[in-house]
Amino acid sequence: MRPNVFRPQSLQEACSLLEEHEEALVYGGGTALQILLKQGILVGSSFIDISGIPGLAEISFTDDFLRVGPMVTLRRMERSEEIRELFSLASSAYAKVANPRVRNTATVGGNIAHGDYRLDPPVALLVLGASVELTSRNSIRKVPLEEFFVDFQVTDISAGEIVTAVEIPRSIHIVGSSFVKLSSLSANDWPSASAAVGLMENDNGVHTLRLALGALAATPVMATVDIRNLNLDQTLEASLSKAMELMDPIADVRGSVKYKLRLGRVAVEEAIRSAWKEVPNGR
Amino acid sequence: MNMVFQINGRDVGIEVSDSELLLDTLRHIGFSSVREGCGVGACGSCTVLVDGKSVSSCLVLTSRCNGSSILTSEGLADDDPVVSQFIKNGAAQCGYCIPGFVMMVSELLSENPIPTEQEIYNHLEGNICRCGSYPEIVQAAMDASKAKQTSKLTC
Repeated sequence: MRPNVFRPQSLQEACSLLEEHEEALVYGGGTALQILLKQGILVGSSFIDISGIPGLAEISFTDDFLRVGPMVTLRRMERSEEIRELFSLASSAYAKVANPRVRNTATVGGNIAHGDYRLDPPVALLVLGASVELTSRNSIRKVPLEEFFVDFQVTDISAGEIVTAVEIPRSIHIVGSSFVKLSSLSANDWPSASAAVGLMENDNGVHTLRLALGALAATPVMATVDIRNLNLDQTLEASLSKAMELMDPIADVRGSVKYKLRLGRVAVEEAIRSAWKEVPNGR
Repeated sequence: MNMVFQINGRDVGIEVSDSELLLDTLRHIGFSSVREGCGVGACGSCTVLVDGKSVSSCLVLTSRCNGSSILTSEGLADDDPVVSQFIKNGAAQCGYCIPGFVMMVSELLSENPIPTEQEIYNHLEGNICRCGSYPEIVQAAMDASKAKQTSKLTC
């Protein structure tokens, strides 16, 4: 069956359409939806193409947040000079998604809404303390990313809601960070394991390690580790033991449970060692 | 829907269905350098530039390109430095994937005129050549970068 495409010109119109057509899917860049259509997983769906709505493809900075519109492409996140400077962890994760063509087409909103447990950007965004803005006809709410991924391929988006922004706070002071993606098939395939690490500092030095994992459980997962007064070896030990609690991998063509657990440990260790090098004067 | 876009500098008005993909539209009009490989955005054979940005035309709705400017490899000049260096380096065996590689290299050199070898590899990571002409392709990209610099200096 041929999909039916609605092309709203305002957010209000899009929200009303979503309410009227419960089965309709929001069409962002379409890179995931087109593949699902070709695979026959999506059949006869109707789509709400939000590319005609003004203002949804903007990147803006306020005193408190970096605010990214849902139609901003992944490649703009990778290449924006400002984002590279302020949130290099985000740029480096967006740069690892698929290939440049997919990144030129896929969008920030669609990527998050897709809710796949193996996606690269959410892993970095979790460490950065990001939240998602969801808009429906009658309300706007902000969901911390930690609460956004509910279960395997399930997000907190309710019927009638559209992702209208991803916000990264400027208050989390990260002094060293790293994103590591390990793939068992080709380098730009989905990962078998990924890890993002951010080291937080205050006047007394580095005190907390924020750790997020991708492809290692039914959703992207994160934890914080208290690393006050710990050296690198102690930090690795504390973080790996926390990572073991978070990991519950799903066996598939990209590796068995045992293999992914092992790669998960490697990803965490590599990410910590590399983030550690960015901290001025060691500790 | 009825739409108008530019293909290789020429205005084209067409009627497309909601589900039509850019790959099919372009091939139907006659741009046969745009080729289907994997159909899922992973191989690069169907690469075209939309408003200067590379896309896999197998994943893009034609209707999304209303008002856009599309460049396929047919739209490159005969003496285009990228095309010339691919020919000079013999960077093709069967040639099926080559228009996609040429468009990716064109995009790279417009964003980053003097890329390192690693940057070339990074940009071409999602293009597959089953004949394995990669060394020649990377050499062609490096030579095209040099040729473009030289022609800039002599202008």
